[in-house]
Amino acid sequence: MGSLLVGGTFVGYDLWFNKALNGEPLESVQTVYLLLDESYSAQGDESKELTYEQRETVLNRILLGATIVALLLIASYVIGGTYQAWIYQRINQGLRTVMIRRVEHLSLQYHAHSRTGDMIYRVYQDSATITNVLQTFVVTPLRAIGTALISTVVLMFFSPWLGLMLLVTFVPLIWLIVRFTPRLQTHARQARQRNSNLTANIQEVFEAIKLIKANSAEAHALREFDQESNSALDAAFAFRWDIILLTTSLMVISVSVLLFAEYWMAGWSRAEDATYLGGVVGFVGFAVWNLGAFQTASVRLADTNHHTNDVASLWSAAQDLAVGLDRAFDLLDLKATVIDAPDAQAFPEVVREVSWRDVNFSYGEHRVVNNLNLQAASGTITAIVGTTGAGKSTLMTLLLRLYDPDSGGVWINDVNVKDIAIADLRANIAIALQQNMLFTESIAQNIAYARPDATRAEIERAAQLTCAHDFILNMPEGYDAELGERGGKLSTGQRQRLSIARAVVRDTPILILDEPTASLDAATEHQVLENLRVWGRNRVVFLITHRLSTIRNADQIAFLADGAIAELGSHDALINRSGGLYRQFVQADTVGTAVDE
Amino acid sequence: MSEDAGQYDDRVDTDAVISSASALGLMLRAVRLLTQVKGLFAAKALLALAAIFPPLTVPWFTKIIVDQVILDQPFNATEVRFPPFMLPFLDFVDGMAPMGIMLSVIAAYAGLLLLFGTRGEKTTLWLAGGQDAATQSEMKLSGGNSQSGGVFGALETVVHIRLSQRLANLLRTRLFTRMTKLPMTTLDDHRTGDAVYRVMYDSPEVPEICLNLTLTPVLTVLGAVLTVYIAQYSYGAVAPELVWVTAALVPMILLVTLPFSKLARHLGQASRASGAATTNAMEENLHNISAVQSLGATEKESAKFEHKSAESFRRHLFVILLGYLLLGIGILSFLVGGVYLAIYVLEKVALGEMSVGDWPALYAIFVLLTVSASTLGAVWINLQGNVAAIRRIFFFIDLPIESFEAGQPLPRLAREVALQDVDVVYPDGRQALHHINVTFSANELVAIVGPTGAGKTSLAYLLPKFLQPERGKVLFDGIDLAGVDVASLRAQVTYVFQEHTLLSKSIRDNFLLVKPDASDADIAVACAAAGAEEFIASLPDGIDTVLGRSGDTLSVGQQQRLSIARGLIRDTPVLILDEPTAALDPQTENALVQSLVNAAQDRLVLVIAHRLSTIRKADRIVFLDEGRIIEIGNHEQLMQNIGGAYAKFVTIQLGDTQLP
Repeated sequence: MGSLLVGGTFVGYDLWFNKALNGEPLESVQTVYLLLDESYSAQGDESKELTYEQRETVLNRILLGATIVALLLIASYVIGGTYQAWIYQRINQGLRTVMIRRVEHLSLQYHAHSRTGDMIYRVYQDSATITNVLQTFVVTPLRAIGTALISTVVLMFFSPWLGLMLLVTFVPLIWLIVRFTPRLQTHARQARQRNSNLTANIQEVFEAIKLIKANSAEAHALREFDQESNSALDAAFAFRWDIILLTTSLMVISVSVLLFAEYWMAGWSRAEDATYLGGVVGFVGFAVWNLGAFQTASVRLADTNHHTNDVASLWSAAQDLAVGLDRAFDLLDLKATVIDAPDAQAFPEVVREVSWRDVNFSYGEHRVVNNLNLQAASGTITAIVGTTGAGKSTLMTLLLRLYDPDSGGVWINDVNVKDIAIADLRANIAIALQQNMLFTESIAQNIAYARPDATRAEIERAAQLTCAHDFILNMPEGYDAELGERGGKLSTGQRQRLSIARAVVRDTPILILDEPTASLDAATEHQVLENLRVWGRNRVVFLITHRLSTIRNADQIAFLADGAIAELGSHDALINRSGGLYRQFVQADTVGTAVDE
Repeated sequence: MSEDAGQYDDRVDTDAVISSASALGLMLRAVRLLTQVKGLFAAKALLALAAIFPPLTVPWFTKIIVDQVILDQPFNATEVRFPPFMLPFLDFVDGMAPMGIMLSVIAAYAGLLLLFGTRGEKTTLWLAGGQDAATQSEMKLSGGNSQSGGVFGALETVVHIRLSQRLANLLRTRLFTRMTKLPMTTLDDHRTGDAVYRVMYDSPEVPEICLNLTLTPVLTVLGAVLTVYIAQYSYGAVAPELVWVTAALVPMILLVTLPFSKLARHLGQASRASGAATTNAMEENLHNISAVQSLGATEKESAKFEHKSAESFRRHLFVILLGYLLLGIGILSFLVGGVYLAIYVLEKVALGEMSVGDWPALYAIFVLLTVSASTLGAVWINLQGNVAAIRRIFFFIDLPIESFEAGQPLPRLAREVALQDVDVVYPDGRQALHHINVTFSANELVAIVGPTGAGKTSLAYLLPKFLQPERGKVLFDGIDLAGVDVASLRAQVTYVFQEHTLLSKSIRDNFLLVKPDASDADIAVACAAAGAEEFIASLPDGIDTVLGRSGDTLSVGQQQRLSIARGLIRDTPVLILDEPTAALDPQTENALVQSLVNAAQDRLVLVIAHRLSTIRKADRIVFLDEGRIIEIGNHEQLMQNIGGAYAKFVTIQLGDTQLP
């Protein structure tokens, strides 16, 4: 479109200024493409002037051309512009999706050390720069170079000096741009990092809002927000200040050149000097310098100026984009440490046994699991007991492959879980987590979260099993009641029961309950465990718990100390081991409760 | 729109229709922010005002180059008059040779261009944004522009950027402050992602509103009036009808664009609401990542995000399309006007009433006017998009916050806390507590017991005024909390939540958040009491260890001990712990309960608990069921009541766990 406009003005300016307005006769080529007869051309008489009617006809031809160009322009904006936005959106959407998938598959080790707000910023803001890259590095430079080329050619056509002058100007321009680039990059990176911190700050404040309110720490939070916000704004300002300095300096150079050229061109036009290539391409007119030529050349020069300025601003913006992309790709380049084996096996059809064999595992330098061995057979309930921080939950995360052990392995029958596809593995193990995470969906959707095809009957059966059915029915909308974020409206005990129901409804051969009943009252706890015992007849069930009433229901108790199994056996066997760790544990629990009667 | 709001899963802000009247009201509220940035706004206004004048000279210099320099015509060959401000220049070049005139024009140009960039140069600093509303926010937040170029334009742009930043920051700080003061029940329903979206991506719309309602229309109209006046002055005699036709351009373009404003508003709202839904999906997904991974739902969550994100892009595409359609209309009107102008000028030139140089002069005037007209049209349309964002901000600023304004400061609790005939009703109509009457003395350990959902947490929430009673009173030493300053109340009540939220900062910072003047010794004492001393010592950086997200680097039991220690350090007359021992092993629990007993020597300690080992140590036990107090007394007293609710509860819990 740009070249259509340039070409249009090139042809049109001569026709309009020299012929229509000034009444000079047409070149014979012009009469041909305007479909006019020979009476419009000079026919050897150089002093001939067009009549008013003839000048009007020329104008009409110009206006017709202008209308066509304008309509094409509108069409290209509405259709082309929207289409371009659509393409860009598709590209951005693609990148966002890839990023979020990558984030989701990163191991929990990564997530434990990253900030949610930072990832939001990367997925959202940093990834958005990808579409601008196309615009900035491909489309606009092409257009700018195209226009500069056309302009240079047009100017060469009039005078090689003009073209040369244009080329010479580029030297200081490029020097300035190169000088500024490192500063621009530093400031762009600062601006993005600080904005990212700000996003993280807001996200964390609202996540911890209860805590902040309870401690009247609103002022503290506001102070921090204010600090982060101002520092982000200052960085953004510093970056823009650089750009303004750069573009203003460039402007001074290019304006000087423009004015210098215009002065000479005015002189040539007065003298009607021959143009450099005027004789060669006579069809557009401009054999000599005249009004139309002056206007054309001057518009070309100004246009080139604008484009140099555009390129400089874009170059500055490009530094910001490069930084944004760098941050986005940083995330994509992270390798998921827990990955499928190349020849992953299917999950065994019948689970006979789950075993941990010589497992070692550390969080960083902190050894959590120490040469641990444990077997659990189908049809049994295994309680994992031990002091806080003994590594109980870690054991289960290794089974689920949220982490991989440093050495040793977890086996299902005789298959190492490392050899099973992660998706397949997790589809066959249900877990109710201690944190009771719920989603902002209806209760039914939350229960069916990991098994979206569960029928209402299955959902209700799971809820009955976990003693959640009654309180759900007491809610105004029953199973269709919408939960607030993280299940805000429910009490912890209620959330806990939903979270167990969510695990049960999956009907998997292995079930893990991490502190399942910590927040349940005794009666409910008793009922839930009784139900689970019946339900778990042909499954492997793990309970991680502190509560004696829960532990007692287990077929075997594994007492963990320092990341290894210290004692293993039934309640009756372990309680009678004098001086045993489990016995001490039970004693501690009952010291407080022994009824003095 | 209300069903749309549901579609974007917004739970709090559900009714989002904006009428034209309320749109205007919202805009005026935004404009009021300008009173807080008077200096910058005045600077921007003056610079922008000054920048109107230099471009007005350009058509006349062009005319001189064409007529006098190139075509060698004398001045005043036609009846067209130069405007008065050109007269000094004309006097200056009077009698000069054409190339002398040219040199003078170039000199004048040099000054004008370097200072003001008068030949269509404008300064804009809108850095590249993305393809939806959120990703353009940063560009708007620190955006600035000027109608002039050159040094002057650069200066104006710098002022503008600072003005934008200041305005947006004012609004987002106010929003942030208000949101942290919303009542607990509202916050339960509100979503973190949405909060991020409103604070980060909605607030940068406000600078545009402020300027587009004040400076832009005033300056545009002023520029247009000046231009028409000059046209009338110079061409009124030669071409009166031309002047009036060009003057009519402004209202004509406005008439064409205004009908689109309602559509623009609707599209803007939809685009933003769906953007916030995308942020929510992402935030929830990342926050619950361990649940997502362990339940094998990564694919499902990705798909959900993908869907929401695609929807927000799609909505924004409509906004873009509308923008291009309006641009098309603008080009079309420009074409019609230009055609008329060309035919008219040719006739006048042919008749000798105008010179050739009048074309560039008139064309420049025509361009100035059409730009003014389309600026005015665009201002109103753009405002519709801005107002969608502003409404999302003012909605939260307008929500009733906790009554911080009412209130005498509360003296330090000395005797007792009393609940008199208290009913609590949740906003959704559920009644959580019925006729609660109970008095706690200022130095006892009280356990609140009952089945899940009995109203234990609701009762405890009354003390720090997280909840307010529907009926009845909560009294501290006889002073009704209804009229008490909330900050002074919360300075006396510490609430340790069940979901032990730890900030992802250092352990020390977590303590400093609740007690800014805590010393290392204070922290050590609190940690010892909560049984957190030992594991903190084993961490590589001790209390300077930076915790992972929501404390993920610690085990749940360790997080719990830390959050209890954080409660203890405040050393307030009232300490409430919601299920403090659920995730603790028995040894740790016993130690903790002993610290609570000690703490209750000189304060009220309220413990919500299920575990008998904790409950037994309480001075009194309050047994709740279905929002009512069933029994009150100490363990021995309540155990006397065989068949009573508490006795039954104990029997089930003890089962047969006694040592042989």
